[in-house]
Amino acid sequence: MKHNRTENVQFLPPVKRYMNAVERRLQLPLKLKVRVMNDFATSFIARREQGETDAEIMAALGTPAQAAKCLNEQMKEYTFRKSPWRFAFLALALLSLLWLAGFALFTHSFPPVNAGVGIIGGADGPTSIILTSSPAGIWPAITAAFLAAVGLVGFFRLRRCRRR
Amino acid sequence: MDDRFLQQLKKGVLEMLVLALICAAPAYGYELLQKLKDSSGGLFVLKEGTLYPILYRLEDDGMIESSWFQGKSRAAPKKIYTATEQGRREYARRKDVWTAFVGAVESFTKEVERDETQPH
Repeated sequence: MKHNRTENVQFLPPVKRYMNAVERRLQLPLKLKVRVMNDFATSFIARREQGETDAEIMAALGTPAQAAKCLNEQMKEYTFRKSPWRFAFLALALLSLLWLAGFALFTHSFPPVNAGVGIIGGADGPTSIILTSSPAGIWPAITAAFLAAVGLVGFFRLRRCRRR
Repeated sequence: MDDRFLQQLKKGVLEMLVLALICAAPAYGYELLQKLKDSSGGLFVLKEGTLYPILYRLEDDGMIESSWFQGKSRAAPKKIYTATEQGRREYARRKDVWTAFVGAVESFTKEVERDETQPH
């Protein structure tokens, strides 16, 4: 099913603040947070239908810290399992970005190329043309950008939630 | 007062009881909390934070499924849980396991008590 929030339900500011405070303290992946908050919203609606006031409901659910703590403890199997290899990917991304930035500063241009684009060369004879810029000049930058992207993707994927 | 033994027993059967309730009728979270409390004579008094992980495990394992239910008139939609066929089969299996378990423990304790009363 779609994990839709009950966005059309009218929650007063104190209730919204309460639910936002619970959500902030949840150490769970986003999809799971949505599930929890949907159920919390349903709980509020159901309790209201039974005649409870918002203050009574929040008291019954506990403070945001208490409610979130209980959920985090009960749902440890859903918490992120962080692989130490993610730091290797992060290092790759940072080094690539540093190289890219350094190269750009060194050549005073971005994207970094080895020479300007105004002059394409000159002829020193009937058969030769000198090129002042290397067609391969942009490739180091592309490679660095690719490696940076790989590093960042690897870093974030390696902290993916796994059910233990 | 809940002692550690009772807590362990409750923890062991809670998932089966929640599944039992949902198999009996679709329900939302707060409704399940009330039924657990009422049907157990106050033995199972839970908070939402304890119930939700059980619901999510059951849902992820395919025993139950959730959907949005819009009541009559302009009532706000509520998220309800319904048992799947797999969930019903699993509940039947767990109920058989529980019956056998209770029978075995009862038989064991009676045997031990009989041995205690007999002269050596």
